[in-house]
Amino acid sequence: MLANRYSAPLSHPGWQLVPGLLLGLGLLILVAFGLGSMLVTAGSADVASVVNSRYLRGVIWFTVWQALLSVLLTLLVALPVARTLARYRQFPGRSLMLRLMELSLVLPTIVAVSGIIGVYGRQGWVTALLNNWLPGHSWSLYGLNGILLAHVFFNAPLAARIMLQALESVPSPRLRIASQLGLRGWWAWRSVEWPALRPLLPGLCALVFTLCFTSFAIIMTLGGGPAATTLEVAIYQALRFEFDFPQAAVLAVIQLVICGGLWWLVFRQRLEYSLMPNRHFVQGVQLKAWPGQLWFSTLLLAAFALFLVLPILAIASRGLPSLLTFTGHSSPYEQLLSATGRSLLIALPAGLGAVSGALLTLASVSKARGRLLTAIPTSTSYLPLIVPPLVLGTGLFLLLRPGLGNNAQGWTLVSLINGLMALPFVIQVLRGPLARLDTHSRRVADQLGVIGWYRWHRVYWPLMRRPLALALAYGIALSMGDFGVIALFGSPGQPTLPVLLYQQLGSYRMSDAAGTGLWLLLLMVVIFGLLSVIGRPPAHHRYKTVRQPFPEPEHA
Amino acid sequence: MLEVKHLRFRYPGQEAAWEFHFSVLPGQCIAIRGASGSGKTTLLNLIAGFLQQESGTIQLSGRPLEQLEPWQRPITSVFQEHNLFEHLDVATNIGLGLHPGLKLTQDQRHLIDEGLLRSGLPGFGSPMPGDLSGGQRQRVALVRAILRRKPLLLLDEPMTGLDPEVKHNMRALLLEEKARGVTLVLASHDEEDRKILADHHWNL
Amino acid sequence: MYYRLSLLLLALVTPLTARAADAPVLNVYTHPSFAADWGPGPAVKQAFEAQCGCTLAYTVLDSGGDILQRLRLEGESTNADVVLGLDTATMETARQTGLIGKHDQALDALALPIGWTDKYFVPYDWGYFAFVYDTEQLAEPPTSLEALINAPEDLKIIIQDPRTSTPGLGLLLWMHSVYGDEAPAKWQALSTKILATTQSWSDGYFSLFMNGEAPMILSYSTSPAYHMAVDETDRYQAVEFEEGHYLQVEVAALVAPSDNKLLARDFLDFMLTPDFQRHIPLKNVMYPAIDLGDELPEVFDRLITPDHAFYMPPSEVAGMRRKLVDDWLNALTR
Repeated sequence: MLANRYSAPLSHPGWQLVPGLLLGLGLLILVAFGLGSMLVTAGSADVASVVNSRYLRGVIWFTVWQALLSVLLTLLVALPVARTLARYRQFPGRSLMLRLMELSLVLPTIVAVSGIIGVYGRQGWVTALLNNWLPGHSWSLYGLNGILLAHVFFNAPLAARIMLQALESVPSPRLRIASQLGLRGWWAWRSVEWPALRPLLPGLCALVFTLCFTSFAIIMTLGGGPAATTLEVAIYQALRFEFDFPQAAVLAVIQLVICGGLWWLVFRQRLEYSLMPNRHFVQGVQLKAWPGQLWFSTLLLAAFALFLVLPILAIASRGLPSLLTFTGHSSPYEQLLSATGRSLLIALPAGLGAVSGALLTLASVSKARGRLLTAIPTSTSYLPLIVPPLVLGTGLFLLLRPGLGNNAQGWTLVSLINGLMALPFVIQVLRGPLARLDTHSRRVADQLGVIGWYRWHRVYWPLMRRPLALALAYGIALSMGDFGVIALFGSPGQPTLPVLLYQQLGSYRMSDAAGTGLWLLLLMVVIFGLLSVIGRPPAHHRYKTVRQPFPEPEHA
Repeated sequence: MLEVKHLRFRYPGQEAAWEFHFSVLPGQCIAIRGASGSGKTTLLNLIAGFLQQESGTIQLSGRPLEQLEPWQRPITSVFQEHNLFEHLDVATNIGLGLHPGLKLTQDQRHLIDEGLLRSGLPGFGSPMPGDLSGGQRQRVALVRAILRRKPLLLLDEPMTGLDPEVKHNMRALLLEEKARGVTLVLASHDEEDRKILADHHWNL
Repeated sequence: MYYRLSLLLLALVTPLTARAADAPVLNVYTHPSFAADWGPGPAVKQAFEAQCGCTLAYTVLDSGGDILQRLRLEGESTNADVVLGLDTATMETARQTGLIGKHDQALDALALPIGWTDKYFVPYDWGYFAFVYDTEQLAEPPTSLEALINAPEDLKIIIQDPRTSTPGLGLLLWMHSVYGDEAPAKWQALSTKILATTQSWSDGYFSLFMNGEAPMILSYSTSPAYHMAVDETDRYQAVEFEEGHYLQVEVAALVAPSDNKLLARDFLDFMLTPDFQRHIPLKNVMYPAIDLGDELPEVFDRLITPDHAFYMPPSEVAGMRRKLVDDWLNALTR
């Protein structure tokens, strides 16, 4: 009767601990290789020269400053949006709005920036309206304005999406009590929303901070001049333009220390924060509204939707002519379709890899005991963000140099790195839902022997379908829109979609490039849409509130 | 026979450790009495293996349990609530108790239907737990516990707050289990529960 | 389903990546716009393969800087036989790696505005940095650097950052060539006109200039050729500055550790023949490195022809770049 200790398939703790640990270790080795090789190539690094340089001190200061402001603004926008979306679960266009919110982050920067300029630039739609209504206004996109606007555009939807996930899993009993007590405003926030958001806020802030800290092309295009320079620009300059490897390495280390330190703080706090039991019930519970709330909410969501839609419309209006042209040299679709095929070939494995990697990492973090052992898989969830891609690429290149013989290997590699780069986002999307299984359920599962593969297959999988689909969509789309990694490793003559876009840009084919940008955008809409359909639970699980034969007793 | 010997436990920051010491014969029920916070739930969690004791032993029919993982112990628990996976339907919730990978034989499927029938929930295999009332959920949990056929049942306020009819039904099922030779450990505030089910009492 | 999909995709891609097995392969590291379907790459490949009995394979890297980076990382074990797409900004660094071999070519055919004596690098095209303007937004553009610097503040221009972009560095050298030590002060005067300093030429051209954000952008004197010949519009023109223009030369070189040196030399030879050069004007939108005679597209006759070409030898640029960039930063961040 007594089976051996780990009778279920893959239930030995090692299966959950080791793969994620290896992944984290591999990544750390990669970074060490990249940084090490830079430091070794040209002797000693001159740390003092960096610290003493007025320019570089200014760069560090500006980088931190704009990132802090961006985080603040992002939260300021994302928080009310998430609260409103959590509160109103049924209004026409809600799911459309969620799809829209997924888009902005994954769009290639140059496409999104062009959209933003089309709306808020000197000749932009909004600016034109301002000119009409408010002659003499002093709005200018270029400068801190533009940087913050773009950062909010990129990050607020992601932040709102993650917060919404947390708010939607607020324990139903708590909501019911709050509803019964008629809590609203501050007290509803204190008793219901804040406890749900608190555990994820530090991580979310760190994520947004890191994204803005390492922001590059946006800052240069919209920043208005060299005063707006981030550390990543200086690293790029040192590495690709001046070939000053030691300086690049020193700057990369500074970046690692600042962002890594932040993540370390978050990670420490997380250790102390025990997972609260949160049961996920299906019925929505309406909280009491204050007068005018409906109006305010409608207005807020409409404004946010407009904020997201306008740049996308600008991208569409610019790209549409090219996609609708069939005359001229040749129809654009021949190149677009084959590039799409190649992009998918890279992005699908990258997305799947990122999701598996994220699950392994999260499993490993939950199983690891001791500071060091926990730190290794935890680092996977932020390291790819704060290590400049060039450093990562250099490390990987040095590790795998002999294997770069043919295209297939090259593409596997690109796929691999794209997967790695997408990991932090995918982990953010999956972390919350994975923690949704509370202590009670874990104990029941333990007792029933639903462990290892069984637990994953029978308990987590039904719970995680939707988040997994969303995470996969992020993974695929991020890899699909990525240009940096391919640029680094070189590609054979046949371009992927982003490479095609840059080829067109480099050859004056501006309207074709706009078409390709729009095509990418449409493709991402399809990817997110398709996966959100796939991720929906099967039909018979969806009739939630049909049967209520007995009135439910109080304690349920 | 279940023998709990000098089982000591304390939560972090707790000064004096609890010590539990008692035994129950097969087919008998022991009721644990004590005020809230006196350690009833803790004791049941220790026996189930959800918490790790400082010292002491737990033996069932002479076999030590205290070093085993929860899933290796021949035990089923029924808690006051949260016994079910909220995102899985009733049949799956019960099925996981029969095979942790849900690889069920035709017979086992019949057993599930039958169990639901006996507890007054005929045809309740497909709803989600969230669609059920509290009493219905507890009965589903009990059906699962019974179908697992483990020699030791740990009951932590399983019927508190349920209406009399449901209580009656559940008690009847539990008495059947006793008659079959299953050992019960019951933590309950309810005098009537204890009177009907328990053979012994142990005060915390 | 996923499996079948990937098979399908694989089938789509495989024929494109398959190569002839026996013929020697000449590996060329280059940048995306050269290798693009509509760039010179495919036509050059076809023409060269027709005469060499070999296969020409491109590895596409983001920019001249990346080509160099890759070369350094690979060192002696590099697969590259030829690098194509470096410029005067990266030449000196490339030379210092020791991975570039001498070309030993006579280079008699070259037709550049300056004499070319470099022993390592062979030019394959050239052009001037110039400001391109939108005739519909700006009827009378300033006709000299000085006039631009002193233009009213509502004239906005887009430039690129000398820390990250070749044309950006070009403008820095241009200003230095014209103004010498006065350049930082001139930069300060110019700064009120600068709408944006973008990371790359593409960012500025696509996101800003073509969106109509500013009427003038730092680009190449040859840019209008593309708009006139392919887009069939005269809307975008370069403006000729009285002081003269800074010269940009794109070069190729053979890689010292290559086992295919003979073939690589053949390729460099071929590079300076009409079979290669005729693809340069409209596909790379630069001046060909040799005199193409009648084959030079007619639109090239309508481009500006600066009286004076500024050019600083790469070794001098390498020595001064950091100081010039620092001066520029100081002038603009004060």
